[in-house]
Amino acid sequence: MNIQAYIESGILEEYVLGTVSSQEKQEVECMSHIYPEIKEELLRTEGALEQYALKHQTLPPASLKDAIFAQMNFDEAAEEPESAETDAVETVSALQYDSDNTVKKLPVEIVKEEEQPLIPPGIRSGEQPEAVVIYPAWAKFAVAASIIFAALFGWSAMKVSNVERENRQYAADIDLLKSDMDGLRKNAEHNQTLASLYRNPNYKVVRMAGLEKSPQSAVVAMWDTKTNDILLDVQNLPAAPEGKQYQLWTIVDGKPVDMGVLDGDFDSKILKMKQAQSGAVAFAITLEKTGGNPSPTMEEMYVMGKV
Amino acid sequence: MGNFISLPIRNVKFNVKRLLATSKVKYSEDELVVALKRNERAAFEFLYDHYSGALFNIICKTLRDEERAADVLQESFLKIWKNIASYNPEKGRLFTWILNIARNGAIDAARVEGRKPAMDDIDDRAAQNERDTSEELSTASSEIKSIVNMLRPERKILIDMAYFQGYTHEEISEELKIPLGTVKSRIRTALQELKHYFAV
Repeated sequence: MNIQAYIESGILEEYVLGTVSSQEKQEVECMSHIYPEIKEELLRTEGALEQYALKHQTLPPASLKDAIFAQMNFDEAAEEPESAETDAVETVSALQYDSDNTVKKLPVEIVKEEEQPLIPPGIRSGEQPEAVVIYPAWAKFAVAASIIFAALFGWSAMKVSNVERENRQYAADIDLLKSDMDGLRKNAEHNQTLASLYRNPNYKVVRMAGLEKSPQSAVVAMWDTKTNDILLDVQNLPAAPEGKQYQLWTIVDGKPVDMGVLDGDFDSKILKMKQAQSGAVAFAITLEKTGGNPSPTMEEMYVMGKV
Repeated sequence: MGNFISLPIRNVKFNVKRLLATSKVKYSEDELVVALKRNERAAFEFLYDHYSGALFNIICKTLRDEERAADVLQESFLKIWKNIASYNPEKGRLFTWILNIARNGAIDAARVEGRKPAMDDIDDRAAQNERDTSEELSTASSEIKSIVNMLRPERKILIDMAYFQGYTHEEISEELKIPLGTVKSRIRTALQELKHYFAV
């Protein structure tokens, strides 16, 4: 990529003047994102035009400023007392609500407490002397036996269910161990493949670092310089939200080229992307709608790296 | 032009700086953006004091009717205030962003009027430009005069049409009956000159 030639093509001037197509606009934004020299030139052009504009002033009517500022509100001064008031009102009403509740509840509880002790003793005290029941001895034994039997039965049932529970627990543990083993095996395989790729001199390794959108993100593109195959090793990238998919791009001749979308499940996997063109100077990943877009959304660029 | 080139650059820079220092509260561009995004009144006042003249000039160039231009400036400024959160300093300078809002507002207003901004009579525009320049000449000190006139008239009108009025290069080429390639190269040269003089 000849940066000087790009700067001298005049595209930056057209960009600042706002006369470029939306495709060219994206291209310039992409390039200035990647090359600090281009960004600096862009800012210099903008700055010069800004100075030029400031040399050509026509003062608006003096009353306009007040008219405009009367329609604006500035939160700090105006809203804080307002929000404090509403807070206060809310707490007060909450308090009232609470006190209402307790006021209503209390009499009910009191009535209940009074009713319970009052009425049943009155009835019992009236009937008890007349109804004296004598139970036979066998009935007492039967009751004792049935209690013992019930206890034994309960105990054994408990034992059985304990054993069952333990069995289930063991089965679950075994499943867990199995899946752990699977995970470990997959990890080991993944690491082995990665190691062999990184060691393979045919692969050019392009590290894409996280941009301000997601500084923790890191993705590595491995470019087979013989076949132009591109493999992706996603080291860290937030899960794509519903309806979105990550999309890989290369920059060729100053234009973004679609390299395909990333499979949603990209953890611990090596993703095969479209074949690169030999002139690619940079790789970048943006978040796009599911299925990808024809051109990248610059605001949604997560990682980027130069070849 | 020749006179100006012989002026020592440092002197020009000093004057530019003095000319820009119109407001009491000073912000660097970064500080200003942060304060604007925090919705601070002082920052918006600074923005207005600092840039409303330039924006109004640009709107007037497209609309010509000062009353309607004042309406568009008001709408634009409120739009800037409401949308400041969406301004991304990574993509360019603040002024470029607010200028775009004002220029688009003016172009939209001109379209509503049923008159494409590009359909203005070009002689009329040239005369207006002359008038602008002479007005500036009568009020400005000799240093400012040099800066304003540092561009050759045939380049100045291209910058004004493209930057202030939002013409595309193709439209300028059609309007002024100049080949597109010439339009592009003249604009480029003019911008190189501006960059050189302001040394930003």
